[in-house]
Amino acid sequence: MRRETQNVLLVLLGGALCKLVLSGAHPRYVKPSMGPWLLTAGALMVLLATIAIIRDIRVARHGNPAVPDDHDHHHGSGSPWLLVLPVLAVFLVAPPALGADSVQRAQPREPVRTASFGPLPPGDIVPMTLSDFVTRSAYDGSNALHSRAVRLTGFVARQSGQTYLARLVITCCAADAMPLKVRLISDDLRGLRPDDWIEVTGRLVPGSADPAGDLAPDLRVGTIRGTGVPGDPYEH
Amino acid sequence: MSEVKTAVDSGELAQPVHPPGRSRKVTSLEVLCGVLLIAALFQNQLGALFDLPALRTGSTVFVAICVQAMPFLVLGVLISGVIAAFVPASALRRMLPRRETAAVGVAGVAGVALPGCECASVPVARRLMQQGVAPAAAIAFLLAAPAVNPVVLVATVVAFPAAPEMVPARFAGSLATAVLMGWLWARFGRAEWIVERALRALPVRDGGSRWAAFAETARTDLIQSGGFLVLGGITAAALNVLVPSGWLVGLGANLVLGVLVMALLAVVLALCSEADAFVVASLSALPLLPRLVFLVVGPAVDVKLIAMQAGTFGRAFALRFAPATFAVAVVCAVAAGLLVFGGVR
Repeated sequence: MRRETQNVLLVLLGGALCKLVLSGAHPRYVKPSMGPWLLTAGALMVLLATIAIIRDIRVARHGNPAVPDDHDHHHGSGSPWLLVLPVLAVFLVAPPALGADSVQRAQPREPVRTASFGPLPPGDIVPMTLSDFVTRSAYDGSNALHSRAVRLTGFVARQSGQTYLARLVITCCAADAMPLKVRLISDDLRGLRPDDWIEVTGRLVPGSADPAGDLAPDLRVGTIRGTGVPGDPYEH
Repeated sequence: MSEVKTAVDSGELAQPVHPPGRSRKVTSLEVLCGVLLIAALFQNQLGALFDLPALRTGSTVFVAICVQAMPFLVLGVLISGVIAAFVPASALRRMLPRRETAAVGVAGVAGVALPGCECASVPVARRLMQQGVAPAAAIAFLLAAPAVNPVVLVATVVAFPAAPEMVPARFAGSLATAVLMGWLWARFGRAEWIVERALRALPVRDGGSRWAAFAETARTDLIQSGGFLVLGGITAAALNVLVPSGWLVGLGANLVLGVLVMALLAVVLALCSEADAFVVASLSALPLLPRLVFLVVGPAVDVKLIAMQAGTFGRAFALRFAPATFAVAVVCAVAAGLLVFGGVR
């Protein structure tokens, strides 16, 4: 690959990283806190390419003899071409955040065994993350959830005839995503399609969380409301 | 000035402009423009292709791996550029003990200082070799840097609140792997396994400043390592989607099988060394030992690293290095586990 082409590719790749952050799409792939690092990395790529381009133009103008011309086809390796793929993926495909398909594939995340829990916040309905809900349902000895209604946000996933509210937990990037699931108990769930994002209120079915079983507690559904994909589609 | 080698691979110097009249070929720049144009024109068809759930999941994982690794890769090539432009070979020689076996140990411990993931250490190790560091020492650094740095160790502490002994076990297993591989290379390694272009000492260029050499080295390493990183990313994403994780269920019963499967899983999943502790911590059905094997093997050898090493040091190197590292890492992890845990646990 020619040097000019390499530089153009670097500008595109750096641009792609910056675009991900500036358009707010990067939480689909990595932790939101990676944003500044991605911007820096993207800017440095563009900078390195620009320096090389400027130097090449100077060299071409002055016909610098320090540049030998016997290295026309040196690398013999096509690997730099592969850099086109992430560029195309970001600008043209823009893959969405992981969803119901990953719930089918990955092992569910086991709740972290926690010894003590603080009191639940006041209010009629307690908003909770799925990780909190699943952990408490399995290990909260005070059974605080038994007497409270909760509000959970996630997407719909279907597995062996059951309907789940699911969310993926990532620690570094989407490659290490692990699903959390809550089984929805209601007479009418047929309207829900996989990957629909919903906000559900309901109550834990006491005793339904079995750490040795499928790790999904049951939720008796009160209300279901459609929401958009949240800014950060994952829990951490 | 003569000892300052500018790090511009001879191949990376500016291409001469084709003089007019010479028979004209299609240049790579035109090919690139063509590819981008075609992709843009057929964007809708391209999008439709990704309606397949498996392909969509795979593409998300692929972009995630690339995006996550890029800042670390940039850090790595900047360090590589600094070594090439500002650290003369003589200074490196003074820093490392003359005896190769001792140099391997020092290089392994020095890995603690590079808080990156494995993508950063490949270009740095190559640059160290080029500056005259013994390949055995550079290899020890290559294996130690992603595995024993503070960021990774802290992540392991956080991921295993109930089993803090995981941290010293991981540290010992990974450092032992790095140092042992360095010694093995010193004893059995052959210089010709590493492709000549990786080690070629670069010609001194007149008139080029050190800053120019720095920028040029970083740029070149970025282009080359980046390409192989993408290759590793595609492989890891494909395996991530294709390998059924249902495998893992019920492995806890058979320890030997558990150790082997976790070692293989570490290779195919190619997780970042900063994330692997969290993933493996949640597999609490497994005893600690197989999970430790996962943590020691992953940063030392995985599909992403194999792709980058094959590209940087050559296929002959990767073909020997990857299986050897795999075996050594499994043995070191099991030994460290038995010592630190005092059993299987």
